[in-house]
Amino acid sequence: MGSRTASKDIITLRGSAAIVCEFFGYAANSILYNRGIYPEESFVKVKKYGLPMLLTQDEGVKSFLAGLTSQLTEWMEAGKLQRVVLVIMSRTTMEVLERWNFSIQTDAEVVEKGLIKEKSDKEIMREIQAIMRQIASSITYLPCLDEPCVFDVLAYTDMDVAIPFSWIESDAKLIENPQMVKLHSFDTKIHKVDTLVSYKNDEQD
Amino acid sequence: MILRTPVPKKRRPESVVEDLHSPVSDRRLVRYEEPGPITAVEPSDEMVCTYHCRQMVKSEFMAALNNAEKQVAEYQAKLELMNNELTQSEDERTKFRDSILSLEQKLEASKGREQALQERLLKEVDEFMERYKEQVKQCSELEVQLSKEVDSRKKAELSFTSAKERATDLEGRLQRLSDSAEREKNIIKEERQHLQDDSKLSARKMTADVCFLERMTLRAEISERESELLKKQLNGLRKQLDECLCEKNALEQKLATYPIPLQESTSSEDKNLVKYLQEQIRGYEAEVQEARKFKAFHTNSELLKEKLIEEKGRREKVEVELSKLQDVQLSAQKLELELVSWKSLLEELPDVSSLSDIPKKFAALQKEAIQNMMEVSELKAQLKQLEVALELGENKRQHYEKESCLEKQRANNAALEAKRLQMMLSSVTEERDRLKKEAAMLSKLKNSHESGPPNETLVKDLESSLADRENTIKELQTNLHEQQGVVNHLHDELKILSEQLSSEARRVKSLEREGDRLRAEISLLESKLGHGDYSAANTKVLRMVNTLAVDNETKHTIDSLREELKKTQSKLQAIEELKGQSDAANIIDDGIPEKLAQLKSQIATLEKREERYKAVFAEKISIFRRACCLLFGYKVRLNCRRCLSVPLGHEMSFVSFNRTIGFALNREDPFAANRVKDDEGAALDLATTRGLDPSLVLNDHPKNTCECCATMAEASELMDEAEAMEEPPSMMR
Repeated sequence: MGSRTASKDIITLRGSAAIVCEFFGYAANSILYNRGIYPEESFVKVKKYGLPMLLTQDEGVKSFLAGLTSQLTEWMEAGKLQRVVLVIMSRTTMEVLERWNFSIQTDAEVVEKGLIKEKSDKEIMREIQAIMRQIASSITYLPCLDEPCVFDVLAYTDMDVAIPFSWIESDAKLIENPQMVKLHSFDTKIHKVDTLVSYKNDEQD
Repeated sequence: MILRTPVPKKRRPESVVEDLHSPVSDRRLVRYEEPGPITAVEPSDEMVCTYHCRQMVKSEFMAALNNAEKQVAEYQAKLELMNNELTQSEDERTKFRDSILSLEQKLEASKGREQALQERLLKEVDEFMERYKEQVKQCSELEVQLSKEVDSRKKAELSFTSAKERATDLEGRLQRLSDSAEREKNIIKEERQHLQDDSKLSARKMTADVCFLERMTLRAEISERESELLKKQLNGLRKQLDECLCEKNALEQKLATYPIPLQESTSSEDKNLVKYLQEQIRGYEAEVQEARKFKAFHTNSELLKEKLIEEKGRREKVEVELSKLQDVQLSAQKLELELVSWKSLLEELPDVSSLSDIPKKFAALQKEAIQNMMEVSELKAQLKQLEVALELGENKRQHYEKESCLEKQRANNAALEAKRLQMMLSSVTEERDRLKKEAAMLSKLKNSHESGPPNETLVKDLESSLADRENTIKELQTNLHEQQGVVNHLHDELKILSEQLSSEARRVKSLEREGDRLRAEISLLESKLGHGDYSAANTKVLRMVNTLAVDNETKHTIDSLREELKKTQSKLQAIEELKGQSDAANIIDDGIPEKLAQLKSQIATLEKREERYKAVFAEKISIFRRACCLLFGYKVRLNCRRCLSVPLGHEMSFVSFNRTIGFALNREDPFAANRVKDDEGAALDLATTRGLDPSLVLNDHPKNTCECCATMAEASELMDEAEAMEEPPSMMR
């Protein structure tokens, strides 16, 4: 996981990007499982971050997430990625019900000069573990998704980024008057990721 | 009566002068009663007075006595006055003492205050000095920074001007280069057109050459064929000739063997034949030579024609090119000059190796210029900020200097006041001592007022002391006034300081309000960030093309279609078997295919409906299972059965409730039994409400499970949907 030495826990830009994208992949899977977007039978338990994590076995979803994370890694190594948002929408009405917002702050100096930072691997894992626990416990306060839902992923990038072949420009898919809950964040000294979930206010229905 | 008089004292020379003024003469009296003089002073002459003298003396004595009495009375009056004055002075002294004490107390208090003030002032002075030093340091640092910033600004300005100049130079050069490039482009275009024309000409030539070559090849082929024919003819003729010669030889041999008259006729025929053949051969040879000549001539003529055409074309071209030669030479010279200039420019420009690098370099220089301008603007902004900070620092320094001067002045004033008060105190103490002495003297005077002459000098002293006291009182009053003024001044300063404090407090409150406002803005921005707002100038939102839903739907449709296909295939097989059986039984029915088709369509629709119901039911049952597990602690196991007694005649699914892991369901356990009974009762209730046969519910339930035929709300929905499916079916999720 990233280029680091065993004794010094050195982190490079590429390693940090890999850590963040891996985190996003597992977080997306956890959200899809906990929010019931896909049936629970289609998930398999694996050990990651010291926790039992659930990964989807649906080939379509797997390939989608794999392609997504590879592109996100490329953008992060170039320092062009600002935010990643996982949007949950109603299948029938395409109304946005939840937005899982992962804001990314990149150290520009590292991108320009290729500097190296130091941070303990355990510390990063602990921070990610806290976020995963919060995602799992979010079902206690998030409203139930009674209807079949689909998910989509939005990437907020710099204006000078060339749009890849399988990507298109999109609107932000915002929720009107949402309720917001800020979760923990984690920091690799190169990338800082803040997590926030905004959901449609149940009282509005 | 003669009064006893004390022994006269030894008079001093001063008192002798005073005695001269007394009315009593300088006669020595002798006491009759005392025979001898007691005093050491002995009368020089024995005084023997007659009666007249005695009377005179007596009268004089009486006068003197009266005078003395008067004087005594006067002195007594004066003494009383003096006593009164003394009492008054004592009163005044006590008052003054009290006032002195109070003044001393005040003085001590003022001393204490002064000391406190001095200490405070010293502290303030120290603080001000420290602040002043700090401000001076800051000022010096700011000055250094300012100088550095000014230097950097100058450098930036110089670099900016140099970059501008370079940019203008580069722009000019670029302009020139662009002009020259355009000229070159035009020239190159013209040359290209020329080349195109040349190429067209050459193409035409080539085509002409090709045609000529083709013609020539054709002609060559023709001539070759002709030559071959001629050769063949020649060979044929040679063969004929050889044959003729052979025949001739043979005939000659024969003739040699045959008789003479016959030989002459044959040899002439042969000779004629030979001649004829030879003439033919010659003719053929001549024809062949003519043909060859003709061919050569023809080829030569064609070649000459082509050469002529070529030469004409070349001539024309040369004429055209000669006219262009001068232009080309000029353009070549220009190009050479431009090349030289380009090269020189490329050599001058750093990091530029070719023409294509120049726009990039220019773009880079423009970027550098823009960055420099931005840096200059930033530096200017920083410089202004520093200037503002410097002005503020200078103002603060001046303010602090003024305050320190004021404080110093106040300290000096306070010291002066203290000195003045000390001096006053010393003067007052001196006055007090003097008054004490005067009081002592007065008391002595009081004791000696009977015999002694009045003391005018003491009165004068007293008057002078009184005047001095009055002066001291006035001075004390003025000091008091001054101290009151100082106190008022201090009060004013305190008011000013309190006003400053209140203004600072207001400023602090305004800063707190601003801080709260900024925090609110920050929270609003954070909410906006969390909401997903973004700046369209800096950010764009992308999403990956998501085909998961489509894929899932297609998968579902594919799976459903496959299942339908399998079922229809199985049904077709069954129908075919039936058909075969019907064929075997020789039952022919014309309407069977139609009926079969109808049945097939019905089967297909029903199967579709069934699949849809199953899909929906599967989704709902999974949700139901999860809800039951969470709510009741039961794990639901779905068993499908056919329920024949259901009035609606639809297939129903039965749901069996199993205990979850953690405790075993045992009928011997009373709690389990109760729970089982409760479950059975609930299932029965549900069954009866739905109009189902309760007997089917409780039949064949295994030991450790409690089954109930339950048409849950989802099943009722399914039935409603089934009724609705009598109509055209709608898409199910």
